[in-house]
Amino acid sequence: MASVIVNLEVSGRAVEIIAAPLTTLQSVLRNQLGMTSVKEGCRQGGCGSCTVLVDGEPMMSCLLPVEDVAGRKITTVEALSTPDHLDPIQRAFLDNNGYQCGYCTPGMEMIAKALLEHNPSPTRDEIVDALAGNICRCTGYQPIIDAIAAAASAGQEATR
Amino acid sequence: MSEETLSVVGQSVARSDGLGHVTGRDIYTFDRTFPGMLHLKIVRSPVHHARLRGVDLSEAEKVPGFVRALSAADVPHNVYTILGLIGVEPEEEFLLTPVGERVRYKGEPIIAIAADTEAAAIDAVAKVRLDLEELPAVLDMDDALAPGAPVVTHWGNNTFMYEGHNCRRVRFGDVDAAFAKADYIVEGEYRTSPIEQAPVETTGCIAVPAENGRYTVYTNTQALYFSLDNTSIILQVPGNQLHFIGGMVGGGFGGKVDVIVEPLATLAAMKTGRPVRYVFTRQEEMQVSSTRASETIRIKDGVMADGRIVARKVVNLFDCGAYSRQTPYSITKFAANAAGPYFIPNVYVDAYCVYTNRTPSSAMRGFGITMASFALEVQMDKIAEKLGIDPWTLHFINAYHNGDIKPHRKVVEDATLIETMQAAAELVGHELAPELKRMTSAPRSTEGGR
Amino acid sequence: MTIANYYRPGSVSEALDILAAHGADLLVIAGGTIAMPLINEGISLPAEVMGLRRAGLDTYTRRGDEVILGATLPITRLVEQTDVPMLRAAALRTASWSVRNMATVGGNLFAPPPAGDIAAALLALGATATITGRSGTREVALDDFWTGFMTTVVAPDELLTSISVPVTSAATSFIKFGRKRDNTPAVVTVAVTANLDNGIVRGARIALGAAGPHAIRASNAEAAVHGQPLSASVIAAAADAAAAECEPFTDAVATDAYRRQMVRLFVARALTQLDASASTQGREA
Repeated sequence: MASVIVNLEVSGRAVEIIAAPLTTLQSVLRNQLGMTSVKEGCRQGGCGSCTVLVDGEPMMSCLLPVEDVAGRKITTVEALSTPDHLDPIQRAFLDNNGYQCGYCTPGMEMIAKALLEHNPSPTRDEIVDALAGNICRCTGYQPIIDAIAAAASAGQEATR
Repeated sequence: MSEETLSVVGQSVARSDGLGHVTGRDIYTFDRTFPGMLHLKIVRSPVHHARLRGVDLSEAEKVPGFVRALSAADVPHNVYTILGLIGVEPEEEFLLTPVGERVRYKGEPIIAIAADTEAAAIDAVAKVRLDLEELPAVLDMDDALAPGAPVVTHWGNNTFMYEGHNCRRVRFGDVDAAFAKADYIVEGEYRTSPIEQAPVETTGCIAVPAENGRYTVYTNTQALYFSLDNTSIILQVPGNQLHFIGGMVGGGFGGKVDVIVEPLATLAAMKTGRPVRYVFTRQEEMQVSSTRASETIRIKDGVMADGRIVARKVVNLFDCGAYSRQTPYSITKFAANAAGPYFIPNVYVDAYCVYTNRTPSSAMRGFGITMASFALEVQMDKIAEKLGIDPWTLHFINAYHNGDIKPHRKVVEDATLIETMQAAAELVGHELAPELKRMTSAPRSTEGGR
Repeated sequence: MTIANYYRPGSVSEALDILAAHGADLLVIAGGTIAMPLINEGISLPAEVMGLRRAGLDTYTRRGDEVILGATLPITRLVEQTDVPMLRAAALRTASWSVRNMATVGGNLFAPPPAGDIAAALLALGATATITGRSGTREVALDDFWTGFMTTVVAPDELLTSISVPVTSAATSFIKFGRKRDNTPAVVTVAVTANLDNGIVRGARIALGAAGPHAIRASNAEAAVHGQPLSASVIAAAADAAAAECEPFTDAVATDAYRRQMVRLFVARALTQLDASASTQGREA
């Protein structure tokens, strides 16, 4: 078996890991780096709970061999907050009850982050389009859409 | 207590787990890993119905990383029945099927394999050879009830027995006499499919040997005490040797009440002395874990010209699949609620728990009642249409009042259907007729009878 | 079986060398969105895997009267860079944003039905596949690319390296009908290109997805519109022909009978939309 050494940046930290061939980014993040905000729901790319950002672009970490992202910048939800400060997206999820069991929440926040970076003022339809790859079985989605819309307007307010 | 002294009621209160959820810092069952942890994968029946003649582990044992296989012989009390805890018979399901017995559904567990890595466990499972003598299977409820059907149970027919009867029965008044006097007969058949709860987090647990011969089991079950007690019974160890930790559940909806993983994982931890992780893949969650039962509900109502439902006969077939698990309880709930929130003076219910060679069904949101509501309310729409009566009026006329007797002999208390419908009408801007606006749920005697 | 090696060649020739060394035992992946689910679930247990992300095949080039899509061009890049409306529409109707960032245009040609919406669009556009082996390249029209369910003319020692799409001024129409609005396998997909000359059809290509073992041409339907105006009766005749000639299947998404009915409905709708404007693309859910 030919394990490889892979260097990447994860949520602001330069890391070097050893991985067996075809080990997924999801497995590395969860099992080697303790980034358990990255969830595991299907390993089919169907539920979105493993969503992370690769150089700002959302991807399903369960389908991504870690070697394919060597040298790239990976963002997980761990990067969004510090003990003193929540990302406005997280504040909006809290204030709008955009969660119930919480399992889909990190994935939703990752997509929200990517969306608002690309499109700071999305329409409700554009939010719904962006969420197409993320499944929530609890909320019925409306509170999540509300939270992202609220985060978008808070962002717009802040830049005025 | 005056309203000014209330500090929580009427306030917006932040949920205690909100911060952990939005920061991704809450620890779910499989966010944990332990040194030396083994992965448990299951050899499952590939066919719907068969006699297990033999198991050959020789090739599986050679897979690098293979550690231990568990078979029926390893299970101290090899019976899985969640309602056994509350004394509901029969004990009909194995944790692992013994050689010589039948497997009754596709996916039924036969052998559990613990290995150093998930890949090795999958590999070893693939190399287990099963000698199965396939038997005719029955996958449809009407077929299962027909004479000559393949028999799923070990008592010779395909229904759960309720105190000597082959269905849960409610008998209230005389439906045949009432049908004879009714102005209209309205019939309907309502069929629902099995529904998978599909929580985003799949079912599973990690069993870890702890100090003093105890085991710590981290689990995402919805039923922590059920799980501990069942594990104690199956493994024949005192409850105080088990420490179950849970409560952080990534969705359940009834899909995590079956105590299906903890006994095997804990047994594997006992036999290997190492932590054991047993988690369903998404495919297992869809195909093996229990679903809401599929139902075929046949309703015959006798209705008077003024809209009063005077008689209701319901025959309901619930597909419990290969094993009854919690379905008999669900059916009892259904039978008690087959008249809905309405007063019907003559009610006849036969609700069957039908065995087929399908995946066993179990609990899901509204367990036993949700599908009843669907059928009953569509039936109400049919009645309104057939009689040419306004649907609102139909519901008000038949709504139950405090003091009414329900078909299972319970006296109605705290009825609020009428008030709820009045509030709903106002919310949607529907103008109710004055006599409907005047109605209340007060006992009929106080309103001068029906 | 644990995976022994994951090869990541930096060029096509390096990839072909690896292919030659390992032959049919080597699983070739690009975006991984089809293969990784099978590997994760333990259904596919390859010993050796080769990934093509670094092999330089992720380009989009406009060359004269054709557009060349590199085989491993991610679908999101296609959306961003193409001005071909049908390709944009088919790409946006494929999977979800995260998966589109990973999945590739070429990979879509190997997607098992009911997937393969971009493949249907490419078939309607008259695209050609470029297949490369150690002895050189060959071009195969997409009409001849598939030989059956999950089988193509790409030999074990060859790789699909690009797809060229003729630039067309034809009117086009693309409809994917799924059970939900987005991120859903097709019940049916209909892709139509037609050259309209004063309202008369001078040549049409009608491609169907999720209605056969791979993307197929509805050639009887095409014959029904050729030389005709797109009147209601002509459209109905074409729709009936498409429904009769397609080879739908039953799966968890839909029955074969329902797919056949939906072919009729959506071929008619696609042809009607074609008539209404030169190029319209839409979703149906």
